[in-house]
Amino acid sequence: MPSSVQPVTVEVTVNGNKYRREIEPRMLLVEFVREELGLTGTHIGCDTSYCGACTLLLDGKPIKSCTALAVQADGCEIMTVEGLEKDGQLHPLQSAFSEHHGLQCGYCTPGMLMSSYSLLQENASPSRDEICKGIAGNVCRCTGYQNIVKAVDAAAKQVQEG
Amino acid sequence: MEMSFDGEFEVAIPREETFELLSDVRKFAPIFPTFHSMKMKEGEENTSIVKVKVGIGKVHGIATTEMVLDECVAGQRASYVAKGNVMGGAYNTIASFDLEDTPGGGTLIKWQGTSQIFGKILSLAGGGMRGYAEKEINKVIQSLQDALSSREHFEQVVAEKHAKPPENIFTGIINFFKGLFGGGAADEASQAGAESEAEVAKPKQDFKPLKDTQIPLTAMSDSINVDGTDEKNWVGQALRRKEDARLIRGRGFFVDDDQSADMLHMGFVRSPYSHAKVGDIDVSAAEELPGVVLIMTGKQVAEQTEPFMQVGAAPGNQLIDYGIAVERVRYQGEPVVMIVAKSAREVEDAAELIEVAYEALPAIVESEDALKDETILHEEVGTNVIFNGIWDHGDVDQAFTDAAHVIKIGRLHFHRFSSTPIETAGAVVSWSRQGAVDVLSNTGLPAIASQMVAPYLGISTEQIRSRSIDVGGNFGTKTVTFPFVGLTAVASRNVGGRAVKWVETRSENLQSFHGGERTFLDTEVALDKDGVIIGLRSKHIDDCGAYTRYEPLGASIWSQVYCAMYKIRNLNIDFTQVTANKPPCTPNRGYSRLQHLWFMERVIDICAHELNIPADEMRMRNYIQPEQFPYTTPNGNIYDSGDYPQMLSKAKELIGYDQWKQKQAEWRKEGRLIGIGIGSTVDSGTNNFGQSVYVNPDSVFSGNAEAARIKIGLDGSVVVMMGSVPQGQGHETVAAQVAADDLGISPDMVTVKPGFDSSWNTFSGLSGTIASQFVVTGLSAVHGAAEKLRGELVRLAAFALEANEDDLELGVGEMGPEVRVKGSPSQSINFWMLSNLVNSNNARLPEELRDIDLNVQHVYRPPFEVPDAKKRYGNQTLTYSAQIHMAVVEVDRVTSQPKILDYVVVDDCGVAINPKIVEGQVHGAACHGIGAAMQEAFQFDDGGNMITGTFTDYAPMTSMNMPEIRCTSIETPSPFSYNGAKGCGEGGGAPLHTMSAAIQDALYEEGVILNESHNSPTILLEARQNPNKATFVEVTSR
Repeated sequence: MPSSVQPVTVEVTVNGNKYRREIEPRMLLVEFVREELGLTGTHIGCDTSYCGACTLLLDGKPIKSCTALAVQADGCEIMTVEGLEKDGQLHPLQSAFSEHHGLQCGYCTPGMLMSSYSLLQENASPSRDEICKGIAGNVCRCTGYQNIVKAVDAAAKQVQEG
Repeated sequence: MEMSFDGEFEVAIPREETFELLSDVRKFAPIFPTFHSMKMKEGEENTSIVKVKVGIGKVHGIATTEMVLDECVAGQRASYVAKGNVMGGAYNTIASFDLEDTPGGGTLIKWQGTSQIFGKILSLAGGGMRGYAEKEINKVIQSLQDALSSREHFEQVVAEKHAKPPENIFTGIINFFKGLFGGGAADEASQAGAESEAEVAKPKQDFKPLKDTQIPLTAMSDSINVDGTDEKNWVGQALRRKEDARLIRGRGFFVDDDQSADMLHMGFVRSPYSHAKVGDIDVSAAEELPGVVLIMTGKQVAEQTEPFMQVGAAPGNQLIDYGIAVERVRYQGEPVVMIVAKSAREVEDAAELIEVAYEALPAIVESEDALKDETILHEEVGTNVIFNGIWDHGDVDQAFTDAAHVIKIGRLHFHRFSSTPIETAGAVVSWSRQGAVDVLSNTGLPAIASQMVAPYLGISTEQIRSRSIDVGGNFGTKTVTFPFVGLTAVASRNVGGRAVKWVETRSENLQSFHGGERTFLDTEVALDKDGVIIGLRSKHIDDCGAYTRYEPLGASIWSQVYCAMYKIRNLNIDFTQVTANKPPCTPNRGYSRLQHLWFMERVIDICAHELNIPADEMRMRNYIQPEQFPYTTPNGNIYDSGDYPQMLSKAKELIGYDQWKQKQAEWRKEGRLIGIGIGSTVDSGTNNFGQSVYVNPDSVFSGNAEAARIKIGLDGSVVVMMGSVPQGQGHETVAAQVAADDLGISPDMVTVKPGFDSSWNTFSGLSGTIASQFVVTGLSAVHGAAEKLRGELVRLAAFALEANEDDLELGVGEMGPEVRVKGSPSQSINFWMLSNLVNSNNARLPEELRDIDLNVQHVYRPPFEVPDAKKRYGNQTLTYSAQIHMAVVEVDRVTSQPKILDYVVVDDCGVAINPKIVEGQVHGAACHGIGAAMQEAFQFDDGGNMITGTFTDYAPMTSMNMPEIRCTSIETPSPFSYNGAKGCGEGGGAPLHTMSAAIQDALYEEGVILNESHNSPTILLEARQNPNKATFVEVTSR
């Protein structure tokens, strides 16, 4: 950190765990999560908020964490891909992505899962078009999206059926 | 051998009641610490079949014991006989209990046990058994004593055991035998210890320590069920992927996930000019920044290194490349100054403070301008032409003499784009004091990278440990990240060997790795009266960008698909490769072939239109026919198998060709611009590096080789290591499928180490995932290694079981993976025991078996020869997959925006090892091609400034513009691969051909001949405003 800059304190709750860190004010939220908290599931894929690999939930809303400062998250609840699995149980989206081969290299997958998670929170039974729209901010270079759409659709149905 | 034990203990329960409990086999058996379940033997009141849990890790299983209440004197004595088979042997145990009253009203239990064991394996264990056996028996007695603390407690324990078998208990009467061979009990202890420790370690305070503490106890790759069925071969099943277990949890390990706290970060000042002399560089202000550790100019780097090796011939190989500009910059974004600082943010701070003086030079942007040599990029080469060669086969002049039609075609241009994997390139490099270099990177060909980087650094390749774990996509583009790996190594060497991380930003990535650009000039096509192409002449100029890097290999690669799917026998292609002031090119999905295939498909469609032959009919007349396979092309390539007519008819059927034709006719009447297009790809796989003689007769590369290793671990697990450098293709899963079939087990039982690591010593000089080859090279290596391992297992088991090798089979028994006598499952020995015999208990092994390691490697080398450099003749790849795509497209009359109305794919990659993964490759390749055809292009202004420098401008495909595609396949097994498979990765070119064909069809009536592979609305609008048909194509018929 440049010596002229005063560190700031950021307190966040990530996946239910509280963290407090002293950081330089310019640190991006994605850098904070990866470098300070060691939660490297959230990835960086571009520098213009296009690719969505860094998508996480901030107070329940999906954001591209490369375009938010860590200080903006102070006092907030964050959910990352590492928080999807509960008590050793994969989230239906995680299982569905695997079942329907909705991932190949897996680099975009965390962001894709978080956007899909958010979509299903808002719309429990999205149509194909709605799914495409829901993940429009996430770029996948491996799958051609078709199996991702299938996976989200299958997960939505599974969540509904309980 | 026989062992006897005895002892006594007191319990508070009265004698009659104690007898009742001990003499009921239903109540007695569950007291065993490892009790799993039991049932009574039909018709025999006193005999139960008891199952107990045994084993550790992957070799866990359930062992069966027959337990008989053999002797019973009411209130006084109960005696059991237990018999079972284990590990190629058998045991027989008699346990008796004599009961006496105690003064306090309880019972004194005098017990005695005798065990006999039979079989070679067990006797090999020798006297070491006794101590262990005693311990195990004590455990049984102890649990009996505990249970008998009261009658209620006893009943409760029995009820619980019946209701729910205990988990994670691995010792017991059977481990009594297993444990002799090392490990059982100790493993239980460590496992249980680890669990309870994890429990305790959960922080009670609000704030957690720095790093994520949730480390899984078992390897992630083992924690997902692949969901197949073992009733048939694992190869061919659409299994879920093992890799997914970590990737869906965000627990992959990509280069940038290495977050070691004391790591330094490296980055560059990059050139804003595409061509300029580098003047003074002032780094003084940057050096003052507290976080800055090192700054090196290109000149300083060059003083410590040797230029990278060139693969081409003179004069192109005189090109000097340090990965960083020394006196001149030759593309916008070229590194000029290297900075190392404590954080990536401080690298950027420093970069802003560094001042570089540039003197701009004229930029070469177009290939034709490069040819003029008015401005030369590399003075030491003396020309911009890196390579020129003429492919001349058959009798082209005669073909033109014989032709019924000659069609001349104007300039065609294939644009620059890249498949831009979402993970950018990166490396983490550190040096040890002894000179060992550790490279964690995502470079695509780490073995070749090491052969490039070692001489650059002046060290041996064997000083470099190169590794990757997860790679976030490659598509060929990470093949040439080696200059940056080299620079990261230079950085680390200059900061005392500390780990230095270099991870490029997306904008840097877009300035660094481009797919190849090609221009096609002076094309002439000779056709017979039926529209069959009998001759072809053309001049091709390939632009490799500012530096050669992997080039000029691409200048020979295209000729793998010289004649595409067509039976043309007479061709003359004059092929030139030039440098230009644009980013260096890399292989990119369909490397060098897709440019040529696009050209061939344009030729087919332009000729079809000019001769008024329907596009499908034109193809049917020109296809190589199914009965001609294996088919030798005019330049000596051997197309292994295929059925192009069948693929085309399937594609037509799937899309509803006739219905679309009808609709097209109707909609055209309404003024709509509707086109139907066919595009095809020959996806040549498994490279013969010998084709490098086409660009350099002195090449030191030929053939191909891939390595795989399989071993039986100390605990009996099956572990596979590969040299294949996966990047999302599911190698762990398919390798496990192959190994599972060969070893008679299930893929879940196979651990495939993720990624690549040169320290496994399992790679060749050409290892890597390129050229659609894994399914042939990688899997042949895995299969070869598995077969060798199988041979060793059988030899060893024949000794242990005293059986003939021919009578043995591999399979999964109660004790996990095993070798057993066919038809006699009780005569078996599991992998764990076999490993033990070789690894930890080998003194009794006879001399003739001491060559067995259960740790074997196989290197697969395809049967290639070096092609004839002069004639440019020989087989360049082993397999030739094929794809036929069809699209229906509408071009908006007002905006010229093309829209896909329907899209189908027919794929033939031979035998599909995992159809789910093949389908994924097909979808992905189609998306890349559609993206390139519709919206992805690197565009430059006249000064060589790239105007699509971010994702926002470059706009890779999203879910919103990817149409839903429908896929089907045919299967023509390759006769040249052991599994009948061919590569399946690179059908990526087909949509470019398909979209050009469809849009061409839509705009033909407006007088437009498409001459660009990119179909942005701007390009199409311009084409429609300036119809070129009159001048672009010339048909001479006679």
